[in-house]
Amino acid sequence: MRYIDVFNLAYRTVISHKLRSILTALGLIIGIASVIVLTSIGRGVHSYVLSEFTQFGTNLIAVFPGKTTTLGLSGATISTVRPLSLADAVSLSKLDSISAALPLVQGNARIEADKKQRRTTVLGVGAAVPEIWKIKVAQGRFLPKNEQANPRAFAVLGHKLSVELFAGRNPLGQRIRIGSDRFRVLGVMEKKGQMMGYDMDDTIYIPTAKALDMFDREGVMEIDLLYNSKIQLKQVEKEVKRLLQRRHGREDFSIITQDQMLKSMDSILNVLTLSVAALGSISLLVGSVGILTIMTIAVSERISEIGLLRAVGAERGMIFKMFLSEALVLSFIGGVVGIFLGIFIVQMIKFAMPVLPVQLAWFYILAAFIISLLIGVIAGVIPAIKAAKLHPLDALRAE
Amino acid sequence: MIELENIHRTFQVGEQSVHALNNINLTINKGEYVSIMGPSGSGKSTLLNVIALLDQPSSGIYSLNNQIVTQLDDNQLAQVRRENIGFVFQFFHLIARYSAAENIEIPMILAGVPIQERKQRVADALLAVDLQQRATHRPDQLSGGQIQRVAIARAMIMQPQILLADEPTGNLDSKSGEGIIELLENLNQKQTTLVMITHDEALGSRAQRIIRLIDGKIV
Amino acid sequence: MMIQDTLSYSYMAIKTQPIRVMLIILAMSIGIASVTILTALGESARLYIVNEFQSLGTNLIIVLPGRTETTGGQPPLFGATPRDLTLADAEALYRSHHIAAIAPVSVGAAPISTKGLEREVTILGSTSALRRVRHLSLSKGHFLPESDANKALSICVIGQTIKDELFAQQQAVGKWLRINDRRFRVIGVLESEGQSIGVDFDDMVIVPVASAQALFNTQSLFRILVETKSKQGMYKAVDDISEIIKQRHEGEDDVTLVTQDSVVNTFDEILAAVTLTVASIASISLAVAGILVMNVMWVSVAQRTAEIGLLKALGATKGQILCLFLTEAAMLSFAGALTGVLLGKITLMALQISYPDFPFYLPVWAIFSALAVSLVTALIFGVLPAKQAAGMNPVTALNKR
Ligand SMILES: Nc1ncnc2c1ncn2[C@@H]1O[C@H](COP(=O)(O)OP(=O)(O)OP(=O)(O)O)[C@@H](O)[C@H]1O
Ligand SMILES: [Mg+2]
Repeated sequence: MRYIDVFNLAYRTVISHKLRSILTALGLIIGIASVIVLTSIGRGVHSYVLSEFTQFGTNLIAVFPGKTTTLGLSGATISTVRPLSLADAVSLSKLDSISAALPLVQGNARIEADKKQRRTTVLGVGAAVPEIWKIKVAQGRFLPKNEQANPRAFAVLGHKLSVELFAGRNPLGQRIRIGSDRFRVLGVMEKKGQMMGYDMDDTIYIPTAKALDMFDREGVMEIDLLYNSKIQLKQVEKEVKRLLQRRHGREDFSIITQDQMLKSMDSILNVLTLSVAALGSISLLVGSVGILTIMTIAVSERISEIGLLRAVGAERGMIFKMFLSEALVLSFIGGVVGIFLGIFIVQMIKFAMPVLPVQLAWFYILAAFIISLLIGVIAGVIPAIKAAKLHPLDALRAE
Repeated sequence: MIELENIHRTFQVGEQSVHALNNINLTINKGEYVSIMGPSGSGKSTLLNVIALLDQPSSGIYSLNNQIVTQLDDNQLAQVRRENIGFVFQFFHLIARYSAAENIEIPMILAGVPIQERKQRVADALLAVDLQQRATHRPDQLSGGQIQRVAIARAMIMQPQILLADEPTGNLDSKSGEGIIELLENLNQKQTTLVMITHDEALGSRAQRIIRLIDGKIV
Repeated sequence: MMIQDTLSYSYMAIKTQPIRVMLIILAMSIGIASVTILTALGESARLYIVNEFQSLGTNLIIVLPGRTETTGGQPPLFGATPRDLTLADAEALYRSHHIAAIAPVSVGAAPISTKGLEREVTILGSTSALRRVRHLSLSKGHFLPESDANKALSICVIGQTIKDELFAQQQAVGKWLRINDRRFRVIGVLESEGQSIGVDFDDMVIVPVASAQALFNTQSLFRILVETKSKQGMYKAVDDISEIIKQRHEGEDDVTLVTQDSVVNTFDEILAAVTLTVASIASISLAVAGILVMNVMWVSVAQRTAEIGLLKALGATKGQILCLFLTEAAMLSFAGALTGVLLGKITLMALQISYPDFPFYLPVWAIFSALAVSLVTALIFGVLPAKQAAGMNPVTALNKR
């Protein structure tokens, strides 16, 4: 018997039990579609988070005070006996491999402009912010270069802060007060939005040295370095480490590269996607038990048919193939429809809720399809063996 | 007690309509013994199904015990069936997974008869059809004649006034058939109205009245 | 028709198809077990974390320097402010009579050393009140003594990890420790907290707050931890604290107050939402199992057509037939649900044995809702096939072989 005939026969049987076949496939369809939708959401979150991080560029290294830093948060960030200084930042920026250095201090203060005032985040930074963090200046300009040690009292406003304080008036050149110190507004940044729950627009940028004074601190909280992309990261890391060790006499700082960050983020997010896929696969598993059940029923219902086929000369192998291909046809239909349904739902989500990051995860879609075929084979084999093993006489007598 | 007036029953099969019962007028009195005869496809089973309230006539009036039953809804029909009509089929129709006793019990279960009473009545019914020894046997462990006796016991368990039988001996050898007929006639002697379809002239002529059907008409 | 008759009829019908029944039970139990297990995991995690947070202290208010006006943003967790939150601020809070204890906290990193062993650790400066506020317990020695917070005593209390690393098997209490360039005498060792969220006290050295400020050359505090006298007094205390600080800061409202309650509630809500989401995703599998129940019921109805016809001929009403088949579906689902709950319970017990530290907990409502959901599933998915059975024409049904 030719394969095409086997499949044709199986297909005809599947079609003749329309309702039953639809329901059986439906179990699989729901399973596959939910795997696809869930992994698409996982995938979407994955690339959303990564893009949030890479929007700052990828050739970034951050140096933190303190040796025990995990992801930049430790006691040393708050205060330490061995601070990272502005001078450290300056000398780091002079390394060949480093194209810009940004010493960072973060704080919180009240900003006053004429009658209006607002409490907000104060970032003590260097001139390299637009270059390193990839934020554009919307109006005016950013803090001037080469004023690291003894800067003038200039400030640049985040978009939201500018709106809150000046409400449509031109903020450029205006005098404002931060805490008790006076500053002059030099520029306004473009709108940037939230970044991991932190409002980038409700901030003010002032020179690091001024921030250190204002907050009465000795050291910076972080130094961000932009390195030359032509140079190997390992090499850059080594140079930064060597320089700081020479300046401090010991290794009392931690280096975290954007690369490491992205890698650990990536692996965390991959685990997330994998777990939602696993969650969705529970339905797939239940769906496959469904196919197994229906195939078992199919064999027991058609015992006399099997007897007849055997009596007219069908071999065991053929009976086996017949039932196996029936399961395969079912699971194939389930798989294909499930994939289309899943993709359709994902597109609907995209359409209905554009803010929700969804992205088709082709790897999982392919995996889902292969799994659906595997389910067909596994769920088909046991009943098919049972069918093939039937003795023709017993089978005929069953009626 | 059974009165049929101008009963018609047509079946629609695609474009074609089959006139299975064509203007049947028939009265059967209480305690009567009637046999229905006629060629295959003449409408015998259709008539019996209508009398049994299993099927509804397309038009005409059927009254049972002076009550018009053509208008009743499904639940009421079920109740009338349960209380007034016993049915014996050519193909027995016992539930294979139940024992003889349990099969006999089914109508009482449906009617909600208390368990104690059920057991007693089943035992009596088994005695009446002479199957005390077979109470726990399942249908596949019984002969055709025994199966039909179980079916008769089941039909009579609610003590209906009417017993309908559609070729009750059609699937039996003549000896077991004889036994079944005697059983049914005994019941008839105890005032049960008996209506029986048969193809066998000899059997049919044992009835008080023979109704002959041809092409859905009484002749 | 009596209930026990309905049940026994359905049971007899199911019994004839053992393999089919086992498969349905398997399918249903996979769904129920995974919902149960995931709910239990989520609930356990929620309880665990809420508990952990509660064990951080009772009626706790945290005063952070700085305040942002962005709505819904995070509080200024570790930013600096032009006007410090000082020890004097902390002491002034005693003016509120809703407050039971105040622990000022300053934090920084510094290298510590004994006999050539050096490493950098987090130094936490506080007062004797910290012990009460944070529910710390000691394995050896004493905690910081009650004394003037402004006195920079050269004593310290060390965490268990630090004790192990610097003193190994030796007695630590009474020994001297060098923090940066100053010498401190160890007066106590904290009991290990084991797995704990938030701050790792095991890897920390606690010194008097004034000593820490001297060490890091600063006047500012990182936080002030406040314990109120009662839960009811919490909100009054919050008002008092804002008021006092405002007065002291020339009318400026420049601190953020976080109550333990609000933190606990936030986590509580987040974890409850996560649990709900995960459990709902898992219950998609219940729908799939329900479809299987429906499918098999349809097969049953088809295979028992003649029987349905017979029952009708014997006077069964539509309602009775519907009831019989629904009962059958419910029995199948219920058996699956019971197995599933059992399976879930066993899995959780196995997990508990493998992770004895984490309390696994299967809420009773989860068990009952699993059973209820399975019944509802059965009724929803069983209704169509049962209706079909109930609506069959008795004559055609009887003649079907
Ligand atoms: N459900 C149905 N749909 C269509 N036609 C039907 C149906 N039931 C019966 N008929 C037709 O009605 C006519 C009468 O059938 P019925 O079963 O009553 O015959 P019968 O006299 O019992 O025959 P037999 O002796 O072979 O049992 C036949 O022509 C049959 O084809
Ligand atoms: Mg007939």
